[in-house]
Amino acid sequence: MSSPPERRRGIMNPDVVEQSLPGIGERYELQPADGGPVVVVIHHSGRRDLYVMGPNRSEPEAAVSLTDSQARTLGAILGGAYFKPAVVEEIEAIIGDLLIDWVSVENGSPAAGRTIAELEVRRRTRMTVAAILRDHQPIIAPEPTETLQPGDRLIVIGRPADLPGFLRHVVG
Amino acid sequence: MGDALVALGGAFLAAGVLARLGRRIGLPTIPFFMAAGFIFGPNTPGVVLVEHPEDLELLAALGLVFLLFHLGLEFSLGDLVAGGPRLLAVGGIYLLLNVGGGLLFGLALGWGTSEAFVIAGAVGISSSAIVTKLLIELRRLANPESGLILGIIVVEDVFLALYLAVLQPVLGEANGAADAIAQFARAFAFLVALAAVARWGGRAVGRVIATPDDELLTVCFIGLAVLVAGAAEEVGVSDAIGAFMVGLILAESPVAARIERLVLPLRDAFAAVFFFAFGLTLDPGDAADVAVPVAIAVALSLVLNIVAGLVAARLHGFGPGPAANIGLTILGRGEFSLILATLAAGAGLDERIYPFVALYVLVLAVAGPLLAARSRLLAHVLPDRLLTRTVPP
Repeated sequence: MSSPPERRRGIMNPDVVEQSLPGIGERYELQPADGGPVVVVIHHSGRRDLYVMGPNRSEPEAAVSLTDSQARTLGAILGGAYFKPAVVEEIEAIIGDLLIDWVSVENGSPAAGRTIAELEVRRRTRMTVAAILRDHQPIIAPEPTETLQPGDRLIVIGRPADLPGFLRHVVG
Repeated sequence: MGDALVALGGAFLAAGVLARLGRRIGLPTIPFFMAAGFIFGPNTPGVVLVEHPEDLELLAALGLVFLLFHLGLEFSLGDLVAGGPRLLAVGGIYLLLNVGGGLLFGLALGWGTSEAFVIAGAVGISSSAIVTKLLIELRRLANPESGLILGIIVVEDVFLALYLAVLQPVLGEANGAADAIAQFARAFAFLVALAAVARWGGRAVGRVIATPDDELLTVCFIGLAVLVAGAAEEVGVSDAIGAFMVGLILAESPVAARIERLVLPLRDAFAAVFFFAFGLTLDPGDAADVAVPVAIAVALSLVLNIVAGLVAARLHGFGPGPAANIGLTILGRGEFSLILATLAAGAGLDERIYPFVALYVLVLAVAGPLLAARSRLLAHVLPDRLLTRTVPP
């Protein structure tokens, strides 16, 4: 089964399939590890619909409508704002056209063992490393001479569209 | 003055209460607004709220202006381009089948060529309002085919705008070829001028009416929309397309999002009057005269929509379920068909068009949603063979 041409992989997260619904809003689809896909429809009016699709993907098994504030509350709960489980993954936020994201430098990452200046992060990816979290000690506004190490968590800011390039260049 | 207010208030209230009953059983508002006009109009026994449909003429015209103004405001070529060539193909096939079929049907009726063109548009173009609402209420927005359905609606909206632009000059009563050409040229020049403003002058017009004050913004955009709609009508283009173009122009302005929010209650209120006024003019005697053509047109639309649904599903690799959903959802007919009928009445075409379109819309605006909700039944009988691709994509 091929998908309609207007579907596209999410800029933010390749696991999310985005699709514009003319006259209504935007549709986002996420495939969980088990069960049918979860679909979120954000209406221009601010209303959010949450659908859990059946195994054949063609009809919803469950559907809920949320107001703007209910959706934010649910989002905060899912994001771990109320209760943080032991394993929390990257937290990302987009405010207007500004993206704030956390990424981890790993053992095999191109960035491991190199300085921010060597990587030419700002010139080559148009993103900025705002802080480094190393052994739970934050280094705020790191100097360009700072050497990145495996295990560092970087807090980066920039435009959402520049994130994939940054991930390729730094995390690998 | 008091009696006029009582009539108008009664009209709104009757339309609203009836439509609320309809919503309980999942039906759209348009047929109930029309039914309210019919029940409380001069052609049926019982309470008569409005004796002369002409009394509501101006308010109903405002409904038409705001419907098209809002359509222009929401219009986005981006949506069309994003859909890609396959969406254009599906939309084109839909229109070819339905408008083309409508044209042949109109010609076969023998009411005249101009009449056939109006009928082609009225039976060929789906109601954006009904289709969009239907997808939300049937909780089908997440379905894989819903993006395609909304895409087809976008293609139809574009077609409607173009059709309205060329139809009015065609319908105009001209004396001889020279006069016809002069009329057409004048209408064309006006449209080109508006299109140029929409393309390059949107921001400038926006600056003239842009104000942080909602009250002043509302007054200004109403003035602009109604003025240009009237001017358009005066030069032989329809008021509908004039209002649409103003919407297009303001869509480029920095205040577009606020206007979109402010115009909604105006559109809803005056559009209700437009549909109510339509119901007022319905006469059971006329309706009986056009019953047979309406029955044929409804059957034709049903068949052509199911065929279009099958073709769309096949092109996108969908199964019988989505195919049935596509065909039966876009079957909804409403505001655009009625607007075309209003055009025909204004141009002095065959009088049977008005009751024909009214009855056709009434039937499909009720039957469409009922069928769409039961699309599973159709999906069971659609042969799988028609949907399996013979050539892999």
